[in-house]
Formats: sequence, structure tokens, C-alpha cells
Amino acid sequence: MKTRYQMMIYVFIIGMIIIGGLLGVYLIGKEEGEFSFGLAAAVIVGSFGGFMISFLYSKWRKKRNGNIPEVDERSLLLMKRYLLIVLYVVLIGSGALLLVLYAIGVHTIETGMLIVYMMLLYMLIGIGAVVVKRC
Amino acid sequence: MRVINHIKEIRLKKGISQVKMAEDLQITRQTINAIENNKYNPSLELALKLIAYFDVPLEEMFYLEDALKHKEE
Repeated sequence: MKTRYQMMIYVFIIGMIIIGGLLGVYLIGKEEGEFSFGLAAAVIVGSFGGFMISFLYSKWRKKRNGNIPEVDERSLLLMKRYLLIVLYVVLIGSGALLLVLYAIGVHTIETGMLIVYMMLLYMLIGIGAVVVKRC
Repeated sequence: MRVINHIKEIRLKKGISQVKMAEDLQITRQTINAIENNKYNPSLELALKLIAYFDVPLEEMFYLEDALKHKEE
């Protein structure tokens, strides 16, 4: 049952990544007038490649460490604390950043820059979560 | 008031490794290390599992630091 749920989660995540990537390819194609099939192939191959790497890593880990779980009550507690801190850092940090930008004369923000900012936030939070999980 | 535990001593006395214990109790090795070094207090559920696993009385495994001082006095 657990494996079935795991597979469903993997399929859902990969599906969402591919749909998101293909949507990006479609939007770029619509803007430029030409659809890049190379980019679409890279999205699909990259998603499956990434999945294979994480799948093989978990298999290797299981072989090396036996039946030890990756997450337990302590790692969940650490994660909760980490996310609570992250919430305040992101809220207050983003607010402070906006005030600083306004003070130095930036009165409009391009949505592209917001996307990059959000991407950076996701990456940093993700890296932090991996580090916290390993503590 | 700090909670002191004797898990490491009991585990070593019974000749059980951290990896074996982690597998049996379905917790990570880091958690065992944190509990043994008194850096993390397990949940009531895990504490009860530990007592059942090692088959020792509660007061032998966990007690308050203050109780130890009283005992020494």
C-alpha cells in the first residue's frame, strides 16, 4: 500500500513538472512564433533523469543502511521549527526588501523579477530543508 | 528540569547496535544519538516503545535531573 502511494506521488510530481515545463515551452513558442521541440525533449528527459537519480539514490541508501527510515518524529519536529523560522524570515525579509527598494527609488517591479525571486526562495528553502533533515 | 536517560548504558549492556535499534524502532540513527546524549527528549510514544523494547522499568530508563540530586544527597 505504501509503495502504491509512493508511486502515485512520484507520478503526480513528475507529471506536474512535465506539464509545467511543456506549458513554458508553449508560452515561449507562442511568443516567438516557433515551438522548440528540443526544449520539450529536454523537459521530459530531464524530469525522468532526475526521477531516476533520486530513485537509484534511495535504492542505494536502503542497501547501505538497511531498513532505517529517512524521517522520524525528531526530523518532523526539526522541519516544523525550520519552516516556522523560514516563514518569519521570508515575510519580514521580503517586507524589508520592498521597503529598501522603495526607499532607493524602485517603484515598479517586473513580474519576471518576481518569478526569479520566488525561484531563489524555493531553492534556498529546499536546500535548508535538506540540511535540517540531515541534522 | 532536565530529563536524564540511561539508554546508552542499557543498549550497550544488551549488546544492541544503534543501527539495529533504529531498524527495530523505525527511527533514524541521528535520533538515537540525540536521545543518548540527552539532546532530545523522545515523545511519550517513543519513550514507551523504548521501555518495551529494552524491557526495563520506566524509572530505570528516564528520570529528572533533580531526582538524581535528591538521591545523591
